Amino acid sequence: MNPESDGPEALQDVLRLADPTATLVVVGCGRLGAMLASQLSRVGREVVVVDRNQAAFALLDVDFSGFQVVGDATELEVLREAGLERAAYLLVMTEKDTLNLMVAQVGRQVFSVPQVVARVYDPQRESLYRAFDIETISPTSLTAAAFLQRTLVKGGG
Amino acid sequence: MTDARYHDHLLQRYRVIGSFLGFLLQLLGLIMLLPLLVLFWVPQEWGLSPGFLLAAAPLLVMGWWLRRCTTELEKRSLSLAEGSVIVVIAWLAAIVVGTLPFYWAGLDISRAVFETTSGWTTTGLSVVDVATTPMLLLFYRSLLQLAGGAGLAILLVSVLAIRGGVGVSSAEGHSEQLVPQVRHSARLVIKLYAGYVLVGVIALKLAGMSWFEAVNHSFCALSTGGFSTRAEPLYLWSSPAAQNILMVLMLLGMTNFLTAYTLMLGRWRAVWRNAELKLTLGLLCFALIALWYGTPVARQAGVENLRITLFQVISALSTTGFVITGLEPEGGFSWLLLMVLMLVGGGSGSTAGGIKQQRIVLLFKNLKQHLLQLSSPPHAVHEETVWIGDQQRSLSGDEVRWAGTYVALYLLTWLSGGLILTACGHSMAQSLFEFASTLGTVGLSLGVTGIGSASGQLWVQIAGMLLGRLEFLVLFWGSARLLLDLPVLLARRCS
Repeated sequence: MNPESDGPEALQDVLRLADPTATLVVVGCGRLGAMLASQLSRVGREVVVVDRNQAAFALLDVDFSGFQVVGDATELEVLREAGLERAAYLLVMTEKDTLNLMVAQVGRQVFSVPQVVARVYDPQRESLYRAFDIETISPTSLTAAAFLQRTLVKGGG
Repeated sequence: MTDARYHDHLLQRYRVIGSFLGFLLQLLGLIMLLPLLVLFWVPQEWGLSPGFLLAAAPLLVMGWWLRRCTTELEKRSLSLAEGSVIVVIAWLAAIVVGTLPFYWAGLDISRAVFETTSGWTTTGLSVVDVATTPMLLLFYRSLLQLAGGAGLAILLVSVLAIRGGVGVSSAEGHSEQLVPQVRHSARLVIKLYAGYVLVGVIALKLAGMSWFEAVNHSFCALSTGGFSTRAEPLYLWSSPAAQNILMVLMLLGMTNFLTAYTLMLGRWRAVWRNAELKLTLGLLCFALIALWYGTPVARQAGVENLRITLFQVISALSTTGFVITGLEPEGGFSWLLLMVLMLVGGGSGSTAGGIKQQRIVLLFKNLKQHLLQLSSPPHAVHEETVWIGDQQRSLSGDEVRWAGTYVALYLLTWLSGGLILTACGHSMAQSLFEFASTLGTVGLSLGVTGIGSASGQLWVQIAGMLLGRLEFLVLFWGSARLLLDLPVLLARRCS
């Protein structure tokens, strides 16, 4: 990630549309979670990141000015501390599909967060999420599509 | 990195620093122009206005020039060290330029710098004769305290929609935020602060002060500054209602903005868990009772005496320094008690000074943890937690260590400053009291600081006020960076 850039243009446009004081909660501060949280914070959004491991927050960049909550996101108390009751968006970004599903579901049903997006590695599980009315993004499918497209374009297809 | 590349890198970083400074200087310039509004009411004091214009003009021009030369601001972020450089330069600029109106009005350099520093750092020690000082300058002093209480970084971050706010605001010591976005948080702080001021002005006016007095006292109580518009102690001229209101305003000023915000949102449970508030309450009660019983001569009868004592205690603990009645001429016990309160000071993340209660709380929790560990099996684990706002944090070793270092540094500076004041010919008790008041940016005085003070002593106190307000670290860090970087930057330009 280029630390000096403000993120993709598309992100900027999307951000301008929504309510500027809405809080976003990012669960899981790995490479993806940290990058998203940093970019959102940098463009002026209110962000709370949750991770089980204090050391994970080192991945956030210096400009990150949101809150950091250390704790297991499967515990309601931790999610409450992260202010999920008042959050407008929940992004679930941990490495475990099952954990992501559970947290996303809790966010949707217990805290009734209006917008919930979860990362899911295994494309086959996406239908499961859809049944719970949770939006998903599968890095595996996206990467596969990108590879396919690149190969076909290069191959003259 | 080779010298040339390091030089280029530094040059680039300083360009970013320069553009932030440009914004800040322009902001300062506007603040310097604000007092001129008072001229609508007192047009006969127009003769003082060149001092303000002379101060504002170079700031606005420099700021404009810096911003024009450095246009990359939007794309860059700032580290804590770079934030420190900005904070140090901005504070020095604010003091140097802020001196001009006083100097123009006829004060000598030492006294003008002292008065300005006392304003910006919200100390409230004064070396001018308030009775003969023009209203324009009196308002200017109060305005300095109002702005200094909020802090330059908060002002900067709240005004501008730019990045890098984290570096600047944490360099000035605003580590806790109200909401998870530094910009929104700074704006919220300013809104709260402005709200307090407005309510304060109206309440004081209703309590019988004139508009001018109400505005000045509201500014100085909330910023925990303590400049007054009259030389006489408050008890002699203001109504009891006004004094009570000032007590409330001082308490508001010394409360962590985060705590106040949580309180306003109605999260009472979180407020009750807050250790700082409990410490404030405890200290106030203890000092009140001790002073009430311990003072040999009661100034007034019964309840009235209690109220005066409470005012004095709040004034010292909140590091405001309003004087309600003169301090006893020979008050060993009351002097020492007030000194302790001044050293402890207000809440972290408020406008108050002193060691700050958060650090005291941390050290006490650490002590408790140690004692528990001594009395239990070797492998037992005791976890102590602190509540900040409505977030619970476990006690971290780093924080405790830094709190301990800070307290040691603070006390050492206090003793050194006291030593210098005794060398200037004051008694030990007076010197220590006065320097506790200086370093904690309080402003209570036993008469050591006044119109007739020696210039050398004033400069020591100026240093004390700055160290106390900026909490040591940023001054050390910022000036060290500057001293290290400047030779590199300049050396290449000459070759």
